[in-house]
Amino acid sequence: MTDTLTLLGQGLIIFLSSSVGTFGFAIFMHAPKRAWLPASVIGGAAYLTYWALLQMNVYEPLSMFIGALLGSLLGQYCARRMRMIATIFLLLGMIPLVPGLGLYRCMHYLAQEMYSAGADAGVRAMVDIVMIAFGLGFGSYIFRVFTPSRAAKEALK
Amino acid sequence: MIDDSCYMAPLHLAGRLILENGGETYRVEETITRMGHAFGFTEVESFAVPSGIFISYRKSDGTIETAVKRVRKRGTDLTRVDAVNAISRQLEQEKLSCEEVMARLQAVEYRKAQLSKIQLMMAVALSSAGWAVMFGGGVADLTIAFLVAFLVQGLAFLMDRAGMRSFVSTLAGSFLSSILPMLFHLLTGLLTVDAAVAACLMPMLPGLAMTNAVQDTMRGDMVSGIASATSALLTATMIAAGALIGTTVFRLLTGGVAL
Repeated sequence: MTDTLTLLGQGLIIFLSSSVGTFGFAIFMHAPKRAWLPASVIGGAAYLTYWALLQMNVYEPLSMFIGALLGSLLGQYCARRMRMIATIFLLLGMIPLVPGLGLYRCMHYLAQEMYSAGADAGVRAMVDIVMIAFGLGFGSYIFRVFTPSRAAKEALK
Repeated sequence: MIDDSCYMAPLHLAGRLILENGGETYRVEETITRMGHAFGFTEVESFAVPSGIFISYRKSDGTIETAVKRVRKRGTDLTRVDAVNAISRQLEQEKLSCEEVMARLQAVEYRKAQLSKIQLMMAVALSSAGWAVMFGGGVADLTIAFLVAFLVQGLAFLMDRAGMRSFVSTLAGSFLSSILPMLFHLLTGLLTVDAAVAACLMPMLPGLAMTNAVQDTMRGDMVSGIASATSALLTATMIAAGALIGTTVFRLLTGGVAL
């Protein structure tokens, strides 16, 4: 019971911190004001999903893929609902997942001449980046297939 | 006979604004084609790459108007991209003259910055503070990430004003982002160095180029996709190089202390 509560508390901190990170980044990227909050929630949800799956011992690249997929689907949905460009939500939804820590660890190990640990961290970061790209691309694809825009529906008539 | 040549200017301006402010090339092409059709042209072609735009349309007298625009300036202002997108959609809904569209696009181009440099620095600092906690850091990491990110972004603005290339400021920024938290840790014993450094590096990571690379590639635009991916890779390499130099310099300064 205590473990579950601790985990929930950690999850809440993860969600809030990644949302705050995304919120600051949204301002910096000059995103439209009305997109700041939803984009932050999407960023927080994508990272929370990735983190929760890791806690359940899911294979890391798969966790990253699912996190990015969720971010992509939520981003596309929000863009459609709010009549805004999808780039805003996709970019901000992906940002918390970008492996900044992995990239730093890779360089940190290399600087200390720990080449195998550096290569390991570097390859993991690269795999994460590829998984984000897959999740983002796959999410965009399935969203377009299953929820065609009004223009696409009219073209099909 | 009406001269249709005037329509080239708004088409170009719309494309340029999207490209200069971080939009994808497929969006440039779609917007130009959509606007061209809304102006009444049945034959409109556009081709965009991250460094330029080609547009042609058949005028009412049967001749073809073509123009090429080289785009050199690159920045990020998603509000501008969204505003141009909204204008192009509005043009589809209601008939607007060439001059009206041009005036609206110029209003977007000359729109004053909504936030001051200090406010943007605060936003980056807030963002880094959030990442520091996300990476498992505590109050000390949050504070240092906030301060270092604020400083690094200030330096980036100064270097940009001095006309330096963006990769130089990225290199300098990642160097400072790695060495400053390490020095702080050495002096105080506080900090989860990994979390603080990674949090400071996060705002510099090429998220937009990466997203654009995926979006362009997904729509079959391989040239732009590869160009954006290369740009993202180059920026990531600069960040990695800066962090590597920072860590190495720290080791030299401290006689090989490992963190």
